[in-house]
Amino acid sequence: MESFWVALKAIFVKDVIVELRARQVLPTMVVLGMLIVYILRLVSEPASGAAPLVGAAALWVAFLFCGLLAQERSFAAEQHQGCMDGLLLAPCDPGTIYLAKLCVNVVVLCVFEVIIVPVVLIVFRLSVGARWPDLLAVLLLGNVGISSVGTLFSAAVQLARTRGSLLSIIVLVILMPLMVPATFALLVLFGALPEEVGGSGSLAFVGSFKAAAGYMLAFDAVFVVACWLLFAVVVEE
Amino acid sequence: MTLCVRSVSKRFAARRVLNNIDLDLDGGQALCLCGANGAGKSTLLRVIAGLLRPDNGSLALDGYDVRKDCERYKRRLGVISHASMIYAELTVRENLAFAAALHGMRKPAARVEELLNDTALAAFRHDRAGILSRGLLQRLAIARALLHRPGLLLADEPFTGLDNEATALLVSLFRRFADDGGAIVIVTHDVRLGLECCQRVAVLDAGRFRLDAMKTDIDCDRFAQDYLSYARNDSWNRSGSH
Amino acid sequence: MRRLLFILAVFLLTASTWMALTAGQIVPVQRNILYAHVPSSICALLCFVVLLVAGIGYLAGGRDIWDMIAVASAEVGLVYATILNATGMIFSRAEWNVWWTPSPRLITSAILWFLYVVYLVLRVNLPGSRRRRARICAVFGIIAFLDVPMVFLSARFIPDMHRPSFSFESTWQSAALTLAMIATVLLGAAMIWLRTDSLRNTLRLEEEFLA
Repeated sequence: MESFWVALKAIFVKDVIVELRARQVLPTMVVLGMLIVYILRLVSEPASGAAPLVGAAALWVAFLFCGLLAQERSFAAEQHQGCMDGLLLAPCDPGTIYLAKLCVNVVVLCVFEVIIVPVVLIVFRLSVGARWPDLLAVLLLGNVGISSVGTLFSAAVQLARTRGSLLSIIVLVILMPLMVPATFALLVLFGALPEEVGGSGSLAFVGSFKAAAGYMLAFDAVFVVACWLLFAVVVEE
Repeated sequence: MTLCVRSVSKRFAARRVLNNIDLDLDGGQALCLCGANGAGKSTLLRVIAGLLRPDNGSLALDGYDVRKDCERYKRRLGVISHASMIYAELTVRENLAFAAALHGMRKPAARVEELLNDTALAAFRHDRAGILSRGLLQRLAIARALLHRPGLLLADEPFTGLDNEATALLVSLFRRFADDGGAIVIVTHDVRLGLECCQRVAVLDAGRFRLDAMKTDIDCDRFAQDYLSYARNDSWNRSGSH
Repeated sequence: MRRLLFILAVFLLTASTWMALTAGQIVPVQRNILYAHVPSSICALLCFVVLLVAGIGYLAGGRDIWDMIAVASAEVGLVYATILNATGMIFSRAEWNVWWTPSPRLITSAILWFLYVVYLVLRVNLPGSRRRRARICAVFGIIAFLDVPMVFLSARFIPDMHRPSFSFESTWQSAALTLAMIATVLLGAAMIWLRTDSLRNTLRLEEEFLA
């Protein structure tokens, strides 16, 4: 058990150091993220009343696409000098490698979040008032969900020439359901929707912030566990 | 230390790369594995390393099966591959510390220093691995492979691109490893160097062992000149074995 | 045996269509597309279950036949998912005058279609050995299967403005629908069987050619 934590910490620290020294992914992510936010702001100018919705959408789209960059890099770096073999030769479970890479991707997205969220709030003229802990919680849940699937399939598509686009289509299709409650939660936080939206149209409709956060937590739990268990299958030659 | 390989076969698409391979290796033995390109040498090494799953057969190191006791198996294994498995952005010391942590070594500083001295890398300990020459990188790869004191060392073309000094250092390291009771399998095209390091030679031809003998039992000069035709020679075709 | 299955499926399909268009006809006439829509949705989901089971079977046993069943069911499932989406859109346009609306049913149909497409794109584009491709696609199949209930649950955060206010009430209508469902499932099974055989023959030919 202890060797699990030692290996996990080692891979995590190694990736953070390598990223800090190589400085490859975070700058590109920030630029891409800001471009996405600005483009969406510009095109939504005629419908400025929809600012909360477009702002929430801009935030999640930026997270999704920039998250993809981070996830693709997380295993691309291991392709140099056969480093992936080095990881697989270690006497630790392959799932440990997955969890460590997942933590790295979550941290990278968190750093990205610190930069991009204020930009979105300023550019779309939104505020969350005193509910910023809720905002951070929702963003973290979204972050973990986005990273969970991307980290698994990043290892799978590494050898492909079109690995960026392959990873995008996999991750985007699997994460579609996460985006609905995620946007709903942000809309509540931006004040565009009430905390509990009354049922309308269908009895099955659920319109509560707590339910949205609960759904995101359940999504994260299911997919982190599933991806962790399946990682060994994906990295096997 | 005992390596036990039984009836290992591996196919890639329709091609049989390994065909019912049996191999027994004890501690202190150094085996030089030769063969033409595409004979299956690297595949065999990757199967023994646990990186490639064979279609059938079993492998065990000190009785620990490669699949059932994966962790214990890998603890006893060190691998030197074509690729160095070294991170360019980390320093020499950091690379070794990382490898030590992967093997669950809690206080590796002393061992890291020992290996840096053994491989003559002490002067480069704070240099980033990305700026090292091929020879220095290979030494680092060797240090990485020996860090956790494995019982079996697998080396795939370890002499490629090394100068005389580095080659001599590597040969002495291999000899010392075998003298200390470790087992080595070296895949190399440089048969003379292989014969220098090892007491046992084997030739892999079309997925089978054509020859597996002690150095003292063969004509080393003729073998070094053309090992393939030497191995295919009838006098070595012991029917029923391998 | 397979020919029998096809004949039976076509016969039942003809019978159910005849029944649907005569005694079981729904008023107004455009709603009759539900006789194609509902069986397609059942079949598309069933093909996904087959995909999942075949994927797990391949990972557990490593036998190529499971992989071929998975690919075949993905292809057949895509056909049904396309019919599902197309008929859903036609119904939506006829009933509510919109081609598409984010209702749970339509979202699930759309994502199901996308999941099949991505599976098949992966199948073609993943490099490496056939075994590796099969393994990764099996993993994708499992993750995608976990995704489907998630999609359905997530759609509950969007108010469903357009609920079909129709159910198959009369006996003739229920009978026609049941027959249509059985026919579609049988047809799907026959097509998966046919496609699996075709893939198996292709593989055998390739191996003989290379050997």
